[in-house]
Amino acid sequence: MGDPGVRRIPDPPERDVAAPPGVSVFAGGRPQCLTGPGPANTFAGMLFRAFAVALALMPCVLRAGNPERSVVQILTFSQTPVFDAPWRFDSVRRSSGSGFVIRGRRIMTNAHVIAWAKQILVRRYQDPRPYQARVAYVGHDCDLALLEVEDAEFFDGLEPLEFGDLPAVRSTVVSVGYPAGGEQISYTRGVVSRIEVQPYSHPGHRSLLAVQTDAAINPGNSGGPVLQDDKVVGVAFQGIPGLENAGFFIPPEVIRHFLKDVDDGRYDGFPMAGIRLVPLHNPAYRSYLGLANDPLGARIDGILSGTPAESRLKPDDVLLEVDGLPVGSDSTVLYEGNRVPVSMAFQAPQSGESVKLKILRDRRPMDLDLPVSTYEADRLAGNQHDVPPRYYVHGGLVFTPLSADYLRTLGREQTDSATAALIYELYYRRSEDPAKARPEPIVLATTLAHPVNANLGVRGRALVDRINGVRIERLEDVVKALDQPSGDQQIIEFSGRGGFECLDRAAAAEATPKILDTYGIPSDRRL
Amino acid sequence: MSLFRRLVAAASLAAVFLGALHAADLRSWERSYVTLEVTYKDYDYSQPWSKPTRTVRKGGLVLADREILTTAQHLPGATLVRLQRGGRGKWYDARVTWTDPHANLALVTTDSEAFWDGLKPAELAAVVPPGPDFNLIRWRDGNLESRRVEFSKFSVREGALSFAPQLTLEVNTELAGLGWAEAVTLDGSVVGLTASKSGNTCQVIPSSLIRRVLEARRAGSYRGLGYFDFTWQPGENPATLRFLKLSGPERGAVVTEVVTRSNTPAVLQPRDLILEVDGFPVDVEGDYDDPDYGHLMLENLATRSKFAGDTVPMKVWRDGAEKTVQYVLPAAAYADELVPQHSFGHDPEYLIAGGLVFQPLEQSYLRAWGDEWQRRAPFRLRHYQNDHPTPERPSLVMLSVVLPDPVNVGYQEVRFLVVDQINGRKIATLSDVAAALKEPRDGVHRFEFMPGDSLQRILLDAAATDTATRRVLQRYGIPAAENLASTEAGG
Repeated sequence: MGDPGVRRIPDPPERDVAAPPGVSVFAGGRPQCLTGPGPANTFAGMLFRAFAVALALMPCVLRAGNPERSVVQILTFSQTPVFDAPWRFDSVRRSSGSGFVIRGRRIMTNAHVIAWAKQILVRRYQDPRPYQARVAYVGHDCDLALLEVEDAEFFDGLEPLEFGDLPAVRSTVVSVGYPAGGEQISYTRGVVSRIEVQPYSHPGHRSLLAVQTDAAINPGNSGGPVLQDDKVVGVAFQGIPGLENAGFFIPPEVIRHFLKDVDDGRYDGFPMAGIRLVPLHNPAYRSYLGLANDPLGARIDGILSGTPAESRLKPDDVLLEVDGLPVGSDSTVLYEGNRVPVSMAFQAPQSGESVKLKILRDRRPMDLDLPVSTYEADRLAGNQHDVPPRYYVHGGLVFTPLSADYLRTLGREQTDSATAALIYELYYRRSEDPAKARPEPIVLATTLAHPVNANLGVRGRALVDRINGVRIERLEDVVKALDQPSGDQQIIEFSGRGGFECLDRAAAAEATPKILDTYGIPSDRRL
Repeated sequence: MSLFRRLVAAASLAAVFLGALHAADLRSWERSYVTLEVTYKDYDYSQPWSKPTRTVRKGGLVLADREILTTAQHLPGATLVRLQRGGRGKWYDARVTWTDPHANLALVTTDSEAFWDGLKPAELAAVVPPGPDFNLIRWRDGNLESRRVEFSKFSVREGALSFAPQLTLEVNTELAGLGWAEAVTLDGSVVGLTASKSGNTCQVIPSSLIRRVLEARRAGSYRGLGYFDFTWQPGENPATLRFLKLSGPERGAVVTEVVTRSNTPAVLQPRDLILEVDGFPVDVEGDYDDPDYGHLMLENLATRSKFAGDTVPMKVWRDGAEKTVQYVLPAAAYADELVPQHSFGHDPEYLIAGGLVFQPLEQSYLRAWGDEWQRRAPFRLRHYQNDHPTPERPSLVMLSVVLPDPVNVGYQEVRFLVVDQINGRKIATLSDVAAALKEPRDGVHRFEFMPGDSLQRILLDAAATDTATRRVLQRYGIPAAENLASTEAGG
């Protein structure tokens, strides 16, 4: 669960952090993306503008040029699918974010600013005209996107912003963008508070390097540049509700990785090592593995099946160096003066490239190259973007892949065993019981009432095990299994308690078009 | 006199008469309904070595043979039980003579002659009529209170302390604080004892079930409540019945899983259609028509006239034909569950080695997360409740917490992990842990956890572990390094 790349213990109960009575746990809020609800025009907004002007006038902050001219406002009209009625979309939502012009006549922003967009409009600094934009590249795993503007005039007079290096902790940065609270551009200043690997809330199941600052980063700031000496040292992207004076931005390391990735005209994504690395502090364990009692070396505790690491590394191998960076016993490396989790070093190469490792195996040092690549097997455990969910409707039964987005439709309060079985399947099965894991578990999401299915006891929220005897590994199997001859009844078996339901074959086939018509479903499938 | 006036007059006469009856009725109950004070160990499973106590008061019914009947709740861990009559005055030391948590019943007695003087056994109704109203009596501030409660329904549901489904009388009332063995009465007889309350519905153990259990116990033939250790789904979907090639009218419940807890041989098969249980036809909802209580879930036929060990004949539809099978009822036993619901009769089990605290994974531990434990307790631990025990792994042991000590540096934040092996030995019980710790290899104890995405293994210096354990006990004020209870009292 979570990020199956490199991870550190402690491993508290994920998703439902709770402690038994007597043990106190600081339960931090989850990070949240920061797109705004759309500009508000208020007295507070005016005050805010006055404040922003004052900040802009400070010569020490913005020295030369007018970088704010290259910061744009992005208005997005988007529609997200309804995951338990996958042919439907929610009503159109308007949101706003920020972006900035970079070389190559493109606008950089956050992926979450333009996710599920039906229309994207960009507005230049103090220019009343909206321009139509489209997505050139999007990296949902790193929450970055590049936009193109159809009207070439848009870029006239706009200087592309240049990228700087990872800012030092305690150095001053300025966040520029179009946050809520007013219509005009806004500047906030703060220091770099710390640099760590953080969960990125947009993908939901990935953690990458991120910088925390006390410069106010508010809804609408998303996608805007964070500047230092007029250079972009980050892209503002998320905050944590409940934390005061803490905003997060995406550092140059991640931005450059994204830009290099799309050089070949395609975005692949960040690679993952596929190993679970844990601190190695215990003296007995260190001496058992042949290590001195020094602060070097972290232990490989587990390896993700289906990754190149599976054939190259073993549990209890000790990781000593990654690409020349010594690994500390707390499974971190020192990078630009900051101790960050080793995962950062594994994310530096592009997918398909290798990292050079120095390990200790059976008390003997070894050098090896570990190819790293993007990991897709946990795709459904993260948030889905831009691609509407797959589904198949038969006899009013709606089949769709089990995903984190689908689970969310069930509500957080569900404690019944049916929901628990789905949670287990999505987040635990692959690592605990890989032999029984399915590439795309399928659920009966809902049943559209019709006489042909009116007597079914199971009507939704159930994991499909077999149909007509065929084990269901992915949605295509549902279509195939229902088509194959199996007598007068079609049998849908559910996972877990051995429950099953039957449909009369002929009646279900006849009813399907009528059900589609009744419930306004444009097609019986999206495969 | 108009009809209306005559009715009013008759009603007021009846009211006066009923009032008098009510007072006499109450005085009579004062001699049959007593108060129990129970001090019991209210364990804190997050610190299994601690034994905080709590004192509660509940009701008890006077039976013949100097026995007081009450619910089993809070009695298995009781350290002091006292009895009081008349709602005030002297408390008499008492002892628990029998508890059955699955039936949620207990018997208490006292050797003090004075207590019994003038007490009168209560009468338990053989059949509970469906209301429409009952009286609920309880001691309140030294006075017996009698309040009207409304009949709601008869249902078949798990007992207050048991997974075994059993007949339950449900009554509606807005009275607060019920569930402490208040007596529900009708026409001078007791029809049940309250066990719990949710919303405005109070769950009552019906007198018919109480009588059967007590009579069987007196006769020496009580082997505990039995239950049907299989799962079924309603046969309401006609397409399913056609698939099973059922001939004749639509009826029956479809077996889905045949053995979940017990080791009883499976006489049923998945996709058997249960047509009759103990002579009662089963409808497509899985109900039968009870002569006393109307439509009830077929589960009730495991306790209606049978106990554990008895045979229940069943008629099933299998492979297109009717077949009769003899189902032997397994006894409801907590130990048959992978994650036991309770483990009465001993203090919480634990074992501490080098600051690592091992405990059995049981529901009592999960319930330490409070009323919302089913949402708040760690998901992975909770989810083991959906798994079945196997001969290789009948139960689970977890590393619940680490008490920091120099020997376990680096593991301080490890917790909630179910143990797979220690020093190469498979672990199902704390005795396995104790045995495995006698066999370190290469100078270390090797602890391995269940495969998955969480921590897989840790090592401890074997030579330093025992010293560290003693140090931990002293530093954290823990009286003993282990409590390995192995017997289960009360089923």
